[in-house]
Amino acid sequence: MNLVSGRPLAVIAKVIFVSIALAILGLLAISAFTAGEIAIAAFLALSMIAIAWVYFTNVSVPLKFFLPGIIFLIGFVVVPILYTIVMSGFQYRTGNYISKPEALERVQALGVVQDESMTTYDVTVGRLENGELALLATDYLAGTYFISDSDSKVEIASTDVELNEFEVAVSAPGFEALPPDELAAMDSELSSLRFYSEDSYYLVLEGFEVASLYTQVLEYDAASDSLTNIQTGDVFKDNGRGNYANINNSEDVLIPGWRAPIWFENYAKLFSDPKVREPLVAVFIWTVTFAFLTVLTQFAFGLLLALALNKAIRGRRIYRIILILPYAIPSIMSILVWAGMFNTEFGAINALLGQQIAWFLDPNFARAAVIVVNLWLGFPYFYLVSSGSLQAIPADYSEAAAIDGASPRQIFWQITLPLLLKILTPLLIASFAFNFNNFNLIYLLTGGGPRATLDGEIAGATDILISYTYQIAFGSNVQDLGLASAISVVIFVIVAAISLYGVKKSKVLDEFV
Amino acid sequence: MNSKKIVSLAAALGVVASSLLGATPAMAEDKVITVWADETRGPALSKALGSLADQTEGEWATGYKIKVVSYSSFDALKEALDKATANTGPDVVIGANDWVATGVKNGKVAPLTLPASVRANYTAGALTDLSYQGKLYGIPISMNNTAMLVNTKLTGGKKPATFAEMVDFYTKNKTSKKLSAGLCVAGGGMSFGAIGVLNALGGAPYATDSKGAVLTTKDPIDVTAMTANVKKYLLDSKGKSTGFFPADSTGCKDNFLAGKVPYAVIGNWEWKDYVAKGFNMNNLVSVPGMTKTTFGKSFASVSGAMLTTYAETNGNATGAKSFLNNFFGSATGVVLYARHEQRPPAHKAASGAVSDGAKAFSRTGNQAGMPQIGDILGNSAGGKNFWDALPAYWTAVLIEGKDVAAETKKLNTLFKKNVAEGSKSLK
Repeated sequence: MNLVSGRPLAVIAKVIFVSIALAILGLLAISAFTAGEIAIAAFLALSMIAIAWVYFTNVSVPLKFFLPGIIFLIGFVVVPILYTIVMSGFQYRTGNYISKPEALERVQALGVVQDESMTTYDVTVGRLENGELALLATDYLAGTYFISDSDSKVEIASTDVELNEFEVAVSAPGFEALPPDELAAMDSELSSLRFYSEDSYYLVLEGFEVASLYTQVLEYDAASDSLTNIQTGDVFKDNGRGNYANINNSEDVLIPGWRAPIWFENYAKLFSDPKVREPLVAVFIWTVTFAFLTVLTQFAFGLLLALALNKAIRGRRIYRIILILPYAIPSIMSILVWAGMFNTEFGAINALLGQQIAWFLDPNFARAAVIVVNLWLGFPYFYLVSSGSLQAIPADYSEAAAIDGASPRQIFWQITLPLLLKILTPLLIASFAFNFNNFNLIYLLTGGGPRATLDGEIAGATDILISYTYQIAFGSNVQDLGLASAISVVIFVIVAAISLYGVKKSKVLDEFV
Repeated sequence: MNSKKIVSLAAALGVVASSLLGATPAMAEDKVITVWADETRGPALSKALGSLADQTEGEWATGYKIKVVSYSSFDALKEALDKATANTGPDVVIGANDWVATGVKNGKVAPLTLPASVRANYTAGALTDLSYQGKLYGIPISMNNTAMLVNTKLTGGKKPATFAEMVDFYTKNKTSKKLSAGLCVAGGGMSFGAIGVLNALGGAPYATDSKGAVLTTKDPIDVTAMTANVKKYLLDSKGKSTGFFPADSTGCKDNFLAGKVPYAVIGNWEWKDYVAKGFNMNNLVSVPGMTKTTFGKSFASVSGAMLTTYAETNGNATGAKSFLNNFFGSATGVVLYARHEQRPPAHKAASGAVSDGAKAFSRTGNQAGMPQIGDILGNSAGGKNFWDALPAYWTAVLIEGKDVAAETKKLNTLFKKNVAEGSKSLK
């Protein structure tokens, strides 16, 4: 195997760069592993192996160029898409957030009841002579002391115990207190221990110095995967939707629940639940309208400017620089500046118009503002691509048409525009797909509003699908990540279809197919 | 393979190996309890406890030291807790009382039992604030409330006794004193901060009896009275805002400090900012009501140090409970913390260590405080939860100029549905 080949300088450079890449990935893998993210750690480890294999051998020269892209594509595109698709089939929302084993553990931990007097004892944790862990407890009210281990409780005479300055028993015959370091080291074990008291009650540590009396009320039966409330007799079974529910009252569920597969229910909800369907349809219509109007206005304005500056005019270079400026300024800044300019009381737009238009409170004005701001953000791009494309169209065509008597308008509509569209259609489609998901603009400019909050509207007048999804997933105390995932998948399918159409139209993959 | 190749490969592997070794966590000498807090409580707690290097092991929990992780904001802390996993979550988190219900539902917080001697240090209300379905999930730390600060330099030393007096002062002095507003919300936003104004006008997120118990069948808002009051005090004859009470809290603090607003609702976490500018906390009052003996009630809730379920998975649950009892449950610990915290402590025995500013907020809280019930306020059975609905109401009536009676009725209906649904879990 030719592990390292090439000129010395190239070999050294390769070794250094590959080593740095492996070291970074190794760091990330270890962090992921210690955080319990085994899948991510495994992916990073596999990436390390692939990098070492591809760059230290001659297995494939093209792979040396493609591998970083492939790794990033898998890590940042394929995996999130697959995860979103999987989550869209789950009941994954507030109250159904953790795994079933975790939820069962929590339900059992919560399924205890303290004794009516809410008794607590000052205790000393230690070991008996046989090595078993035990508590030496002080009962202030009764003035008694006892030692409790896992299955017995033995009273100790007050003359046999040694008390500390707080009158708490710290030693007794046959009992040795644990030293502080050992206590901390055994925390995990101690927190799960139950020390016998009487009847069904047991003592649980509430710190290293205190124990409380509890009794288990909910009992789990693994065979039937059910929980029974010993006091009421109620039986709770897995309802198949991520909760243990009372078999006699499906509304009575134990918390917390867990992420449970509900297959296509989130998708069905998009069509069957009017609370979701109605806003979704309105949002979808606006999303398509917004993306279409955006592309249309940006392209029209960009092309207009490109046509104007296509001829040699004085100061053309300066004009071009000025026109590209909006593209050079970070869009986040531009959007926030525009938001200020549309302010009803102090905004420059209203000052200019001499009006008091509440731009972000009226649905139509808000939509107009969104289109205007996006026009500002996007026209330089279309100006640039239109300028380039105009220069790529041979001048012979328009000259021949002019000789044949065609007017400039006819030349533009019959020759220039069709040729331009042939070149620019893939870019127009890509722009449409991009604006379909233009979250930043909506979130920063209008927040999706205006929305009639008091009428319970989730979707605002300028919400597009992606910002609406965000509202569902993170917009309130009740987060429905499963439903948001389902909408995300629908958006993905739409955008993927548009992109595929664009790719097909541009025939860029012809050489590879 | 020649020597050059072997050297190259060895170098590569060496770099990788050394990096990996560098990344391997060092064996911790001390067991550590990790506490997450926000940008005000975190630094205060860090100062009270000292750095890890300065701490004596076992000072507050046998065998442990305490590590405090501060987040940039309350929202950032909440987000971090939402995203925490079994291996990354804290043992203790300092959060608002309305985190408890969601925390229990999402398996984030764990119950704990306080010894009777520790429980005795707190009011029943403070413990109820951090309880859910009969179980306690944290130990109360400090009170969270807002109150109204009067700029007596503007008002000529006069504190208003009624809502009408404030409006009257604004109307008469708006032009001459170049006032940008009469009463605005500087702390807590247009829901938490504006609840006193809502209540003064005749509304509340839920109706309560004299003991603070929620009355689920009673209308939270007296629609007729509130409609009349909003029209009379906040709107002009054409139904437009008079500018007395802005619907937005933006700029309120700056304008108040600049002497352009006579009355501002401020939070108890920020009173030092006002004292530093020469304001006296003796001028802190509850929002006046419609008559001289009534006040607009504000939320008087507690923030708490909550035990997380991660303490169990981190193997620190018993130590974390000890820390909560020994530090936040003891006068010694609370006094240490209170020295660096502006909010008044929830611990009764620590009241002697309270600063004048905190005392002023305690006074207004006792005078006109109402319980902050997270499960009702966060409930959105009516379409939106309280936190989103109240700001929307101010916008609707003060900016959009919508019909006050209709919007007030909508708000009442929405709150009523939220109360009906949210109060189910209180049983």
